[in-house]
Order: sequence, then C-alpha cells, then structure tokens
Amino acid sequence: MVLPLVLLVVAACAVLAGWALVFVVRDRAVILRQLWGAAVIEALVLVQAVVLGVLGATGTAPSDPVLLWGYLVTTLVILPVAALWAFAERSRWSSVVLVVAALTVAFLEVRMWQIWNA
Amino acid sequence: MSAPAAPDGTGPSASPAPGGGPSGGPGRTRRTNAGFGRFLVAVYGVFALAATARAAVQILRDWDEAPLAYALSGLAAVVYVVATVALARDGRVGRAVAWAAVGVELVGVLTVGAFSLADPEAFPRATVWSGFGQGYGYVPLMLPFVGVWWLWRTRPRPGAGTPVTTRPADAPEDAA
Repeated sequence: MVLPLVLLVVAACAVLAGWALVFVVRDRAVILRQLWGAAVIEALVLVQAVVLGVLGATGTAPSDPVLLWGYLVTTLVILPVAALWAFAERSRWSSVVLVVAALTVAFLEVRMWQIWNA
Repeated sequence: MSAPAAPDGTGPSASPAPGGGPSGGPGRTRRTNAGFGRFLVAVYGVFALAATARAAVQILRDWDEAPLAYALSGLAAVVYVVATVALARDGRVGRAVAWAAVGVELVGVLTVGAFSLADPEAFPRATVWSGFGQGYGYVPLMLPFVGVWWLWRTRPRPGAGTPVTTRPADAPEDAA
C-alpha cells in the first residue's frame, strides 16, 4: 500500500467532513458539489484497490489479505450509500450522514494501513 | 454575520442539535428514524456493516482460533443489523425490535467488555465489544445508551391526556 495515497484519502476525507460539518451547523442539506468531492475520494480508493491488486499479483502480498480486502470493499460501499442518503433526505441530516461517512472512510484507511504493515 | 439561517425557509422547525435541549416543543416528531434518528441509523448502519464484515472474515477463515470471541462477533453483527433495520423502519414492531436489539447490545458490550478485561484468556482475539469497544473509540459502548435514550425520547404517547407528565417545553437540561 502506498503511503501518499493513504494520506491523500485521509486528508480528502477530513476536508469533506469539515465541509459537511459546516453545512450541519448552517442547517443545510448536502449539495451536489460535495458529492463530487465524495466521488473523487471514491475514485482514489478505487485506485488503491488497483494498486493493491497489482502489488498482490507481483508478490508483495499483505500478511492478511482477506482482512485487507474486506476493509477495502467496506470502504467502497460507504460513500455511495451516503450519496443515496443525500438524495433521499433533503435536510441537514444528510450532511450529518456525510460527516459520519467521510470520517468512517478515513478511519478505515488508517486501519488498512495498519493491516498492510502488520 | 448573525443568523445565516436556512435559505430554504425552514425557520421555526429547525431540528434540535443532537445533544442539545428539546427546543422543538410539543409538536416534535416521534419517529425513531427522523431528525437525530437519521444520524443514529447511519451510525448503526456503519457498525452493522463493519461488524458483519469483520465477523464474516473471522468466522469463515479462522473459527478455530477463538470460537467464543468469534461467535460473539457474529452475535454483535446480527444485533447491529437488526437494530439498524428496526430503527430505520420505526412503527410498533420496529420499536419493539429496536428495544430488544439495543438491550442485547447494552448487555453484550458491558458483559464482553468486563470479561475481556477480567479474563483476557477467554478472548484471545478481539471482538467489537472487547475492552468496552476501545478498538472503535468506545463508540460501541456509547451507542446502546444513545439508542435507549433515543427510543425513550421518541416513545409513543397516547394522543390525548396522558397521565405521564412529560413536559417537553421546560426542563431543558436537568438530566443528571
């Protein structure tokens, strides 16, 4: 796993969470631009999946691949769900959900980094 | 910059802050899946997902290492899934199921938390509830309490003249 990519995802999640938090405070629902931000993060995580796949194929496998891939798949699910939520729920609470989702993705990134280096 | 307010004109019905006092008055929604409940459902959903993924890996791959811990992981996952669905669906059945799930969760996290500290031998591998959920920032410990509080707060009350004197308007913050 590549550290810069992990840091990039975590930083992007922090920014998105902060942005959504501002919306929570201002009692606003998620806007489309934020979902584009979430899409960028999702794309970065997909790049990570490709990197992991290549690393795995070339022999640099993690000590616990099942666990790592489990985390990766879980990570990929979260932001799309938050996005669906944003469409279904046009109130401040969609922003709350986006905060939770972004922080969860950041947390899972850190966990994946730990698993990779275990 | 005073009172930026909501641009869409949702003035008075602005939802109360998660930990704040009941500012909404008597007309507040009494559904488990509205307002703060949406946040709660989201958090439960994340834990349902995380616990299920984790338990699946543990149970399918290395069951023999720690059957007790992994069985409890599976139980935790089921409880979170049930609680998520019940809170999201609301209604009489949903509420009853949610009470049961949150109750099991509360007992589970306290019991497993205590045992994992008192007798680490029995839990050679971590579960969501080990050490009172310290691996997850103690969120698993707080979640059932929040769940109970929320279910209690949104409990249905008979429409007219309930003997239970609940006055939503006053007593903003007198919970011990």
